[in-house]
Amino acid sequence: MSAMEELYQQRLQRYVKAMRNEKPDRVPIRPFVAEFTAKYAGYTAQEVVQDYRKAMDAAMRCAADFDWDAIVANMVYVWSGLTQAIGLRYYAVPGVDLPIDTGFQYLEPPEDKAWMQPDEYDALIADPTGYLFNVWLPRVSADVVPPGAQATLRNNLSFLKGGMAMLDYFYALGKQVERLRNECGTVSAISGILKAPLDILADKLRGYKGLCSDLFRRPEKVIAACEALAPHLLHVALSGADPQKNVPIGLWLHRGCIPFLSPAQFERFYWPTLKWIIEELWARGHQTLFYAEGEWNPNLKWIAQLPERSIIYHVDRGDIFEVHRAVGEKFCLSGGIPNELLAFGSPDDVRAYCKKVIDGVARDGGYIMDAGAIMQDDTQVENLKAMTDAVHEYGVY
Amino acid sequence: MEKQTSQSRPPGTCIPWEEKRKEFPQIQGNEELIKQIWEEVDALGYMYIWQVLLSF
Repeated sequence: MSAMEELYQQRLQRYVKAMRNEKPDRVPIRPFVAEFTAKYAGYTAQEVVQDYRKAMDAAMRCAADFDWDAIVANMVYVWSGLTQAIGLRYYAVPGVDLPIDTGFQYLEPPEDKAWMQPDEYDALIADPTGYLFNVWLPRVSADVVPPGAQATLRNNLSFLKGGMAMLDYFYALGKQVERLRNECGTVSAISGILKAPLDILADKLRGYKGLCSDLFRRPEKVIAACEALAPHLLHVALSGADPQKNVPIGLWLHRGCIPFLSPAQFERFYWPTLKWIIEELWARGHQTLFYAEGEWNPNLKWIAQLPERSIIYHVDRGDIFEVHRAVGEKFCLSGGIPNELLAFGSPDDVRAYCKKVIDGVARDGGYIMDAGAIMQDDTQVENLKAMTDAVHEYGVY
Repeated sequence: MEKQTSQSRPPGTCIPWEEKRKEFPQIQGNEELIKQIWEEVDALGYMYIWQVLLSF
């Protein structure tokens, strides 16, 4: 075994053991670095969004220079080459719509121009895949025309170029995972994607405002739509999951927390279908990285219903010490280092906070060091170095 | 939550084999092979739309 492969295996064991809520040789570090990688490697946001090769190169440079156990192969995930090939309307792209050093943005249309209209729930529920192809895609794409309309060159090219670009990108992601392993000994932190059914409704279909109206005006339709989406989201999650069942499926949680939903709405609308998907994944041996963006602590009593070790609970703005008291016996935790501290604090501040978190939640294992949220270009390099040093200084068991 | 089974297009499917099969008056060779490859390639179309929805 080469020295690099030995390093990889050491990191993989450390990472997996922590995720199983056990005690490895030290606290693993798995920073979710997005636009930070561009700043570190000397690229603009435009360059890493429009040229995925530069994005992957930037991630490689970080993996090579920092002693991190795991990272995401490309956390600046959206490649505008692909989204422009399809003609997607819901992005603002750096260098086109935004200054070159501003990260890409999602655009949500006004409520009356939502990508899915309120009277279309039945169509979505009856045939989600058909609805996406026939109704949703022609709306979100500037090029795709709906069935019955005259075919156009741009329509045909959208599918051809979009499909080819997607295969090109996913193939490159696979090669990137190999490069991380072979050139840096770094583990690819997640495999596959999952989103909560209600988040899909809010993010890409009805919009958040439209969904809020629907929760009161047509609640049964919302529930039925979540139930219709859930088996598909499970299928997509499984299709991208790690065959070795080492690394978790990434679950990016958006609208389930306060103030977007009340705890009662969470219990009624958000939780039943998401819980079902996570349990189905765990029944097949796959952990889920429960990336709880925002403040989720009021929902912990429901999250605690999940099977032991089925998730890695990622803490963003919640009090990580309270999370540890509530679910630390059941699940590995990650994150909890405030992004504002990494952006505006000093390295000493960061080191002290990391020590506090390690002392408070990691004494028995089951913790992975990371920021609360995905790190953009406001994260200071010296502060991320301080976070990295802290696990070596305070996180050894 | 009860597992959904009543949808016309189950997960992983754009055009079910049963629907495509009707286009062939007869199949002289191994129907199972044709079905398998149809479903594998059909799943790519499914992956396309759901990945656009989830990832992009």
